[in-house]
Amino acid sequence: MNELLFYIGAIMIIIGGICDLFGALGLLKFPNFYIRLHAATVGTIGGAVVPLFGVGFLALGSDFLGGMKYAIAGASFVTGIIVLLAASAGAHALAYAAHKSKLVKWEPKCDHLEGDEK
Amino acid sequence: MSLENVFFLLMKFVIPLYLLAFVIYAIRAFKGPTIVDIILAVDCLSFDIAAFMAILAVYFKSAFLISGAITLALWAYLLDIYVAKHLVSKEVGA
Repeated sequence: MNELLFYIGAIMIIIGGICDLFGALGLLKFPNFYIRLHAATVGTIGGAVVPLFGVGFLALGSDFLGGMKYAIAGASFVTGIIVLLAASAGAHALAYAAHKSKLVKWEPKCDHLEGDEK
Repeated sequence: MSLENVFFLLMKFVIPLYLLAFVIYAIRAFKGPTIVDIILAVDCLSFDIAAFMAILAVYFKSAFLISGAITLALWAYLLDIYVAKHLVSKEVGA
């Protein structure tokens, strides 16, 4: 049982590291802010939430941590849920603010929000 | 091979991935053409440092590092909301 939890957590941490790297590369290479939001989602949900839940499972399965494994696992799950809620809400608020204040130069094919100004 | 040794072997592969990602996020945060790019990069950097602190808490066998991760995640959300509020209505309004 301990080994199962440990290896599930380890696989989730590896997936998180790879998602983190690809999210960072996308954030560096994509052309404008609205496209970079896509890479930011890969970097936060794939690169922070998945490894946080992974650390939670890994800590539950690790007996070498002693009594503090429940503290680390519980705090990891709480942080994972907070990031899961806060990253999406924060990215949406930033996208709304960027569109509203017309900071970003872009050439959209269509902009459904444009008629909603005023 | 005990689970502790497997964990330290895993960290040899995972820590370089995270550090490389931090460096790339920092490049975008310093370079970002508009303010929302900078805030988005700092946001991603904060969430990923929170995840990395959880990993370090297991690595150093310390329960104190993990309490900083919760605060860091909430701080990044606060930064997003304040900057978005300032850009939309030109005031923060506390």
